[in-house]
Amino acid sequence: MFTNNPFAALTDFLPSLAMQVYIALMALAVVVGTLFDVVHKGSAKFFARRREKSEAAAQRRLSGGETVSLAIATIAEAAVSGEFCKWPRRISHLLMMYGFLLYLVTTVAMIFAYPAGAATPAILPTLWSVGALMILVGGLWFFFFLRVNVAYDGASPFHLGRADLFVGSLLVSVAFALVWHFVQTTHGHAASTRILFGLYMFFTTLLFVSVPWSKFAHMFFKPAVAFQRRVEEANGSSDLPSQSTENYIVRS
Amino acid sequence: MPTYTDMSRCDGCGECVDICPSDIMHIDPVYRRSYNIEPNFCWECYSCVKACPQNAIDVRGYADFAPLGHKVRVLREPEKGVISWKIRYRDGRLKEFTFPIRTTPWGSIKAPSDYAQPDLSALSSPLLAHEPAGLHIDALPTIKKA
Repeated sequence: MFTNNPFAALTDFLPSLAMQVYIALMALAVVVGTLFDVVHKGSAKFFARRREKSEAAAQRRLSGGETVSLAIATIAEAAVSGEFCKWPRRISHLLMMYGFLLYLVTTVAMIFAYPAGAATPAILPTLWSVGALMILVGGLWFFFFLRVNVAYDGASPFHLGRADLFVGSLLVSVAFALVWHFVQTTHGHAASTRILFGLYMFFTTLLFVSVPWSKFAHMFFKPAVAFQRRVEEANGSSDLPSQSTENYIVRS
Repeated sequence: MPTYTDMSRCDGCGECVDICPSDIMHIDPVYRRSYNIEPNFCWECYSCVKACPQNAIDVRGYADFAPLGHKVRVLREPEKGVISWKIRYRDGRLKEFTFPIRTTPWGSIKAPSDYAQPDLSALSSPLLAHEPAGLHIDALPTIKKA
Protein backbone atom coordinates (compact mmCIF):
# COMPACT_ATOMS: atom_id res chain seq x y z
CA MET A 1 0.00 0.00 0.00
CA PHE A 2 2.70 2.47 0.99
CA THR A 3 4.65 2.17 -2.24
CA ASN A 4 1.81 2.50 -4.80
CA ASN A 5 0.89 5.83 -6.34
CA PRO A 6 -2.69 6.26 -5.08
CA PHE A 7 -3.60 8.53 -8.00
CA ALA A 8 -2.33 6.24 -10.77
CA ALA A 9 -5.37 3.94 -10.73
CA LEU A 10 -7.70 6.93 -10.85
CA THR A 11 -6.91 7.43 -14.52
CA ASP A 12 -9.30 4.55 -15.33
CA PHE A 13 -12.23 6.90 -14.81
CA LEU A 14 -10.61 10.31 -14.35
CA PRO A 15 -8.15 11.84 -16.85
CA SER A 16 -4.85 13.12 -15.48
CA LEU A 17 -5.72 16.56 -16.78
CA ALA A 18 -8.85 16.67 -14.60
CA MET A 19 -6.76 15.97 -11.50
CA GLN A 20 -4.25 18.65 -12.48
CA VAL A 21 -7.05 21.16 -13.07
CA TYR A 22 -8.54 20.26 -9.66
CA ILE A 23 -5.22 21.00 -7.93
CA ALA A 24 -4.90 24.32 -9.79
CA LEU A 25 -8.48 25.22 -8.76
CA MET A 26 -7.75 24.42 -5.12
CA ALA A 27 -4.60 26.58 -5.21
CA LEU A 28 -6.72 29.36 -6.72
CA ALA A 29 -9.34 28.87 -3.99
CA VAL A 30 -6.64 29.38 -1.33
CA VAL A 31 -5.38 32.57 -3.00
CA VAL A 32 -8.88 34.01 -3.52
CA GLY A 33 -10.00 32.92 -0.03
CA THR A 34 -6.97 34.52 1.60
CA LEU A 35 -7.44 37.78 -0.32
CA PHE A 36 -11.14 37.80 0.58
CA ASP A 37 -10.18 37.19 4.21
CA VAL A 38 -7.70 40.06 4.12
CA VAL A 39 -10.27 42.48 2.66
CA HIS A 40 -13.26 41.29 4.66
CA LYS A 41 -11.57 41.37 8.07
CA GLY A 42 -9.58 44.50 7.25
CA SER A 43 -6.34 42.74 8.26
CA ALA A 44 -4.36 44.50 5.53
CA LYS A 45 -5.55 47.90 6.80
CA PHE A 46 -4.77 46.85 10.38
CA PHE A 47 -1.23 45.79 9.49
CA ALA A 48 -0.65 48.91 7.36
CA ARG A 49 -1.79 51.16 10.22
CA ARG A 50 0.34 49.25 12.70
CA ARG A 51 3.35 49.57 10.44
CA GLU A 52 2.80 53.31 10.02
CA LYS A 53 2.55 53.74 13.79
CA SER A 54 5.67 51.65 14.26
CA GLU A 55 7.63 53.69 11.74
CA ALA A 56 6.48 56.95 13.32
CA ALA A 57 7.49 55.76 16.79
CA ALA A 58 10.76 54.16 15.70
CA GLN A 59 13.78 55.34 17.66
CA ARG A 60 16.15 54.25 14.92
CA ARG A 61 16.00 53.06 11.33
CA LEU A 62 16.87 49.45 10.63
CA SER A 63 19.45 48.70 7.95
CA GLY A 64 18.70 46.27 5.11
CA GLY A 65 20.97 43.67 6.70
CA GLU A 66 19.16 43.92 10.04
CA THR A 67 15.78 43.52 8.34
CA VAL A 68 16.99 40.45 6.47
CA SER A 69 18.38 38.96 9.66
CA LEU A 70 15.02 39.58 11.41
CA ALA A 71 13.24 37.89 8.50
CA ILE A 72 15.58 34.88 8.78
CA ALA A 73 15.01 34.73 12.56
CA THR A 74 11.23 34.82 11.97
CA ILE A 75 11.43 31.99 9.43
CA ALA A 76 13.63 29.97 11.80
CA GLU A 77 11.10 30.49 14.61
CA ALA A 78 8.18 29.46 12.38
CA ALA A 79 10.10 26.39 11.17
CA VAL A 80 10.28 25.03 14.70
CA SER A 81 6.87 26.40 15.80
CA GLY A 82 8.76 28.48 18.35
CA GLU A 83 5.75 30.73 18.99
CA PHE A 84 4.12 28.04 21.12
CA CYS A 85 5.00 28.20 24.79
CA LYS A 86 3.98 24.63 25.62
CA TRP A 87 5.87 21.65 24.21
CA PRO A 88 2.86 19.32 23.59
CA ARG A 89 1.23 21.94 21.35
CA ARG A 90 4.54 22.62 19.70
CA ILE A 91 5.14 18.95 18.86
CA SER A 92 1.56 18.50 17.70
CA HIS A 93 1.85 21.59 15.48
CA LEU A 94 5.18 20.44 14.06
CA LEU A 95 3.70 17.03 13.20
CA MET A 96 0.74 18.66 11.45
CA MET A 97 2.79 21.34 9.69
CA TYR A 98 5.50 19.07 8.28
CA GLY A 99 2.98 16.27 7.67
CA PHE A 100 0.84 18.67 5.64
CA LEU A 101 3.86 19.93 3.67
CA LEU A 102 4.96 16.36 2.88
CA TYR A 103 1.43 15.33 1.94
CA LEU A 104 0.89 18.42 -0.23
CA VAL A 105 4.23 18.31 -2.06
CA THR A 106 4.03 14.58 -2.79
CA THR A 107 0.41 14.88 -3.97
CA VAL A 108 1.37 17.62 -6.42
CA ALA A 109 4.49 15.70 -7.53
CA MET A 110 2.57 12.45 -8.15
CA ILE A 111 -0.23 14.16 -10.06
CA PHE A 112 1.87 16.49 -12.19
CA ALA A 113 5.15 14.61 -12.61
CA TYR A 114 3.85 11.04 -12.73
CA PRO A 115 0.49 11.01 -14.52
CA ALA A 116 -1.07 7.81 -15.91
CA GLY A 117 1.36 5.18 -17.05
CA ALA A 118 4.48 6.81 -15.61
CA ALA A 119 6.33 4.68 -13.06
CA THR A 120 6.31 6.51 -9.72
CA PRO A 121 9.36 6.19 -7.45
CA ALA A 122 8.29 4.33 -4.28
CA ILE A 123 9.59 7.15 -2.09
CA LEU A 124 6.78 9.52 -3.17
CA PRO A 125 3.78 7.39 -2.09
CA THR A 126 5.70 6.41 1.04
CA LEU A 127 6.25 10.05 1.98
CA TRP A 128 2.61 10.79 1.06
CA SER A 129 1.45 8.14 3.56
CA VAL A 130 3.96 9.25 6.20
CA GLY A 131 2.79 12.87 5.81
CA ALA A 132 -0.86 11.84 6.14
CA LEU A 133 -0.08 9.76 9.24
CA MET A 134 1.86 12.66 10.80
CA ILE A 135 -1.18 14.92 10.27
CA LEU A 136 -3.44 12.33 11.87
CA VAL A 137 -1.20 11.77 14.89
CA GLY A 138 -0.59 15.49 15.53
CA GLY A 139 -4.16 16.46 14.66
CA LEU A 140 -5.97 13.85 16.75
CA TRP A 141 -3.71 14.58 19.72
CA PHE A 142 -4.51 18.27 19.35
CA PHE A 143 -8.22 17.71 18.71
CA PHE A 144 -8.97 15.47 21.68
CA PHE A 145 -6.42 16.59 24.27
CA LEU A 146 -4.78 19.93 23.47
CA ARG A 147 -7.56 22.13 22.09
CA VAL A 148 -7.64 25.01 24.54
CA ASN A 149 -11.43 25.03 24.83
CA VAL A 150 -11.28 21.32 25.71
CA ALA A 151 -8.23 21.42 28.00
CA TYR A 152 -9.04 24.68 29.81
CA ASP A 153 -12.55 25.86 29.03
CA GLY A 154 -14.50 22.72 29.91
CA ALA A 155 -15.72 21.90 26.38
CA SER A 156 -16.29 18.26 25.43
CA PRO A 157 -13.49 16.62 23.36
CA PHE A 158 -16.20 16.00 20.74
CA HIS A 159 -17.29 19.65 20.65
CA LEU A 160 -17.27 21.08 17.13
CA GLY A 161 -17.30 24.78 16.34
CA ARG A 162 -16.22 27.15 13.62
CA ALA A 163 -12.72 27.24 15.10
CA ASP A 164 -12.47 23.52 14.24
CA LEU A 165 -13.29 23.96 10.55
CA PHE A 166 -9.65 23.93 9.44
CA VAL A 167 -8.28 21.16 11.65
CA GLY A 168 -11.50 19.12 11.36
CA SER A 169 -11.68 19.20 7.56
CA LEU A 170 -7.93 18.51 7.35
CA LEU A 171 -8.17 15.48 9.62
CA VAL A 172 -11.24 13.99 7.93
CA SER A 173 -9.79 14.63 4.46
CA VAL A 174 -6.50 12.93 5.32
CA ALA A 175 -8.25 10.05 7.11
CA PHE A 176 -10.40 9.39 4.02
CA ALA A 177 -7.30 9.65 1.82
CA LEU A 178 -5.61 6.84 3.74
CA VAL A 179 -8.74 4.68 3.97
CA TRP A 180 -9.42 5.17 0.24
CA HIS A 181 -5.82 4.26 -0.58
CA PHE A 182 -6.03 1.13 1.59
CA VAL A 183 -9.36 -0.02 0.10
CA GLN A 184 -8.12 0.74 -3.42
CA THR A 185 -5.03 -1.41 -2.81
CA THR A 186 -6.97 -4.31 -1.28
CA HIS A 187 -10.30 -4.23 -3.20
CA GLY A 188 -9.39 -2.58 -6.51
CA HIS A 189 -12.19 -0.64 -8.19
CA ALA A 190 -15.11 -1.71 -6.04
CA ALA A 191 -18.00 0.69 -5.48
CA SER A 192 -16.68 1.29 -1.94
CA THR A 193 -13.47 2.68 -3.46
CA ARG A 194 -15.44 5.20 -5.52
CA ILE A 195 -17.54 6.24 -2.50
CA LEU A 196 -14.43 6.70 -0.36
CA PHE A 197 -12.77 8.70 -3.12
CA GLY A 198 -15.88 10.91 -3.33
CA LEU A 199 -15.74 11.56 0.43
CA TYR A 200 -12.02 12.28 0.22
CA MET A 201 -12.65 14.82 -2.55
CA PHE A 202 -15.55 16.41 -0.66
CA PHE A 203 -13.56 17.06 2.52
CA THR A 204 -10.44 18.11 0.59
CA THR A 205 -12.53 20.63 -1.33
CA LEU A 206 -14.08 21.82 1.94
CA LEU A 207 -10.59 22.32 3.40
CA PHE A 208 -9.43 24.58 0.57
CA VAL A 209 -12.70 26.35 -0.25
CA SER A 210 -13.51 27.25 3.36
CA VAL A 211 -10.43 29.49 3.73
CA PRO A 212 -12.45 32.71 4.40
CA TRP A 213 -14.28 31.02 7.31
CA SER A 214 -11.52 28.82 8.67
CA LYS A 215 -8.07 29.57 10.10
CA PHE A 216 -6.30 28.18 7.02
CA ALA A 217 -4.87 31.64 6.29
CA HIS A 218 -3.03 31.67 9.65
CA MET A 219 -0.05 30.14 7.87
CA PHE A 220 0.35 33.44 6.00
CA PHE A 221 -0.68 35.89 8.75
CA LYS A 222 1.25 34.48 11.70
CA PRO A 223 4.74 34.87 10.20
CA ALA A 224 3.83 38.41 9.05
CA VAL A 225 2.77 39.39 12.58
CA ALA A 226 5.84 37.72 14.10
CA PHE A 227 8.13 39.61 11.70
CA GLN A 228 6.44 42.95 12.46
CA ARG A 229 6.83 42.30 16.19
CA ARG A 230 10.54 41.62 15.77
CA VAL A 231 10.92 44.83 13.73
CA GLU A 232 9.14 46.83 16.47
CA GLU A 233 11.39 45.37 19.14
CA ALA A 234 14.49 46.13 17.07
CA ASN A 235 13.62 49.71 16.08
CA GLY A 236 12.45 50.69 19.56
CA SER A 237 8.80 51.24 18.66
CA SER A 238 7.45 48.29 20.63
CA ASP A 239 4.86 49.35 23.19
CA LEU A 240 6.14 46.72 25.62
CA PRO A 241 8.21 47.87 28.61
CA SER A 242 11.99 47.69 28.32
CA GLN A 243 13.59 44.50 29.47
CA SER A 244 14.85 44.49 33.03
CA THR A 245 18.57 44.90 33.46
CA GLU A 246 18.55 43.12 36.80
CA ASN A 247 18.01 39.48 37.65
CA TYR A 248 16.21 38.90 40.92
CA ILE A 249 16.44 35.11 40.88
CA VAL A 250 19.02 34.62 43.61
CA ARG A 251 18.02 31.23 45.02
CA SER A 252 17.36 27.88 43.43
CA MET B 1 -9.03 49.02 34.19
CA PRO B 2 -10.12 45.57 32.96
CA THR B 3 -8.05 43.23 30.81
CA TYR B 4 -8.22 42.55 27.10
CA THR B 5 -6.33 40.18 24.81
CA ASP B 6 -4.25 41.20 21.81
CA MET B 7 -5.29 38.42 19.45
CA SER B 8 -2.26 38.83 17.23
CA ARG B 9 -0.06 37.88 20.20
CA CYS B 10 -2.22 35.24 21.91
CA ASP B 11 -1.38 31.64 21.01
CA GLY B 12 -4.40 30.18 22.78
CA CYS B 13 -2.47 28.35 25.52
CA GLY B 14 -5.25 28.77 28.12
CA GLU B 15 -3.10 29.97 31.07
CA CYS B 16 -5.35 33.01 31.59
CA VAL B 17 -8.52 30.88 31.53
CA ASP B 18 -6.95 28.66 34.18
CA ILE B 19 -5.86 31.44 36.52
CA CYS B 20 -8.75 33.95 36.30
CA PRO B 21 -10.40 34.02 39.76
CA SER B 22 -13.51 35.60 38.29
CA ASP B 23 -13.82 32.99 35.53
CA ILE B 24 -14.30 35.65 32.88
CA MET B 25 -11.33 34.80 30.66
CA HIS B 26 -12.72 32.40 28.08
CA ILE B 27 -11.89 31.05 24.64
CA ASP B 28 -13.38 32.68 21.56
CA PRO B 29 -15.37 30.03 19.66
CA VAL B 30 -14.35 31.38 16.23
CA TYR B 31 -10.67 32.23 16.62
CA ARG B 32 -9.76 30.00 19.59
CA ARG B 33 -8.01 32.87 21.35
CA SER B 34 -8.74 34.11 24.85
CA TYR B 35 -10.96 37.09 25.56
CA ASN B 36 -12.53 38.81 28.54
CA ILE B 37 -16.20 37.89 28.32
CA GLU B 38 -17.33 40.51 30.84
CA PRO B 39 -15.00 43.46 31.50
CA ASN B 40 -17.48 44.89 34.03
CA PHE B 41 -16.93 41.88 36.25
CA CYS B 42 -13.12 42.01 36.04
CA TRP B 43 -11.60 42.29 39.53
CA GLU B 44 -8.56 43.90 37.96
CA CYS B 45 -6.31 41.51 39.86
CA TYR B 46 -4.16 41.20 36.70
CA SER B 47 -3.41 37.54 37.39
CA CYS B 48 -3.97 36.75 33.70
CA VAL B 49 -1.78 39.68 32.65
CA LYS B 50 1.08 38.32 34.72
CA ALA B 51 0.49 34.68 33.80
CA CYS B 52 0.34 35.17 30.02
CA PRO B 53 3.56 33.73 28.54
CA GLN B 54 3.10 35.73 25.33
CA ASN B 55 2.55 39.14 26.97
CA ALA B 56 -0.69 39.19 25.01
CA ILE B 57 -2.96 40.56 27.74
CA ASP B 58 -3.11 44.27 28.43
CA VAL B 59 -5.32 46.45 30.51
CA ARG B 60 -7.33 49.37 29.24
CA GLY B 61 -10.05 51.66 30.44
CA TYR B 62 -13.73 51.32 29.68
CA ALA B 63 -14.98 52.34 26.26
CA ASP B 64 -16.15 55.78 27.40
CA PHE B 65 -12.65 57.07 28.10
CA ALA B 66 -10.34 54.52 26.44
CA PRO B 67 -10.06 56.59 23.21
CA LEU B 68 -8.25 59.31 25.17
CA GLY B 69 -5.01 57.50 24.44
CA HIS B 70 -3.81 56.07 27.71
CA LYS B 71 -2.34 52.59 27.69
CA VAL B 72 -0.82 50.03 30.02
CA ARG B 73 1.54 47.33 28.75
CA VAL B 74 3.05 44.54 30.73
CA LEU B 75 6.18 42.46 30.23
CA ARG B 76 6.83 39.39 32.32
CA GLU B 77 10.37 38.04 32.47
CA PRO B 78 10.13 34.88 34.57
CA GLU B 79 13.77 34.04 34.01
CA LYS B 80 14.69 37.27 35.84
CA GLY B 81 11.84 37.18 38.35
CA VAL B 82 10.50 40.52 37.13
CA ILE B 83 7.32 42.11 35.85
CA SER B 84 7.60 45.51 34.18
CA TRP B 85 4.79 47.95 33.43
CA LYS B 86 4.77 50.72 30.86
CA ILE B 87 2.14 53.37 31.46
CA ARG B 88 1.18 55.88 28.79
CA TYR B 89 -0.81 58.76 30.26
CA ARG B 90 -3.44 60.69 28.34
CA ASP B 91 -1.09 63.67 27.99
CA GLY B 92 1.51 61.46 26.30
CA ARG B 93 3.86 60.97 29.26
CA LEU B 94 5.44 57.55 29.52
CA LYS B 95 6.51 55.90 32.75
CA GLU B 96 8.03 52.49 33.28
CA PHE B 97 8.08 50.51 36.51
CA THR B 98 9.90 47.28 37.22
CA PHE B 99 8.90 45.06 40.11
CA PRO B 100 10.76 42.01 41.36
CA ILE B 101 8.14 39.34 41.90
CA ARG B 102 10.16 36.45 43.23
CA THR B 103 13.66 35.31 44.07
CA THR B 104 13.34 31.62 43.11
CA PRO B 105 13.00 30.21 39.58
CA TRP B 106 9.57 30.26 37.94
CA GLY B 107 7.69 27.02 38.64
CA SER B 108 9.98 25.99 41.50
CA ILE B 109 7.51 26.58 44.35
CA LYS B 110 6.41 23.24 45.76
CA ALA B 111 2.74 22.53 46.41
CA PRO B 112 1.85 21.68 50.06
CA SER B 113 1.27 18.09 48.99
CA ASP B 114 4.89 17.85 47.83
CA TYR B 115 6.14 18.27 51.42
CA ALA B 116 6.35 15.44 53.95
CA GLN B 117 3.46 15.35 56.39
CA PRO B 118 4.51 17.10 59.64
CA ASP B 119 4.70 15.12 62.85
CA LEU B 120 1.56 15.51 65.00
CA SER B 121 3.69 16.40 68.00
CA ALA B 122 4.59 19.62 66.17
CA LEU B 123 1.07 20.92 66.92
CA SER B 124 2.33 22.12 70.29
CA SER B 125 5.12 24.10 68.65
CA PRO B 126 4.64 27.79 67.86
CA LEU B 127 6.29 27.16 64.47
CA LEU B 128 4.27 26.55 61.36
CA ALA B 129 4.85 23.44 59.24
CA HIS B 130 8.37 23.21 57.78
CA GLU B 131 9.59 26.30 59.60
CA PRO B 132 12.31 27.43 59.83
CA ALA B 133 13.85 25.28 57.02
CA GLY B 134 11.05 26.27 54.61
CA LEU B 135 11.96 29.93 55.12
CA HIS B 136 15.60 29.22 54.29
CA ILE B 137 16.76 30.43 57.69
CA ASP B 138 18.35 28.64 60.64
CA ALA B 139 15.96 29.84 63.30
CA LEU B 140 13.11 32.28 63.85
CA PRO B 141 13.63 35.07 66.38
CA THR B 142 12.03 34.44 69.76
CA ILE B 143 10.80 36.83 72.44
CA LYS B 144 12.44 36.29 75.76
CA LYS B 145 10.22 36.58 78.81
CA ALA B 146 11.21 39.39 81.14
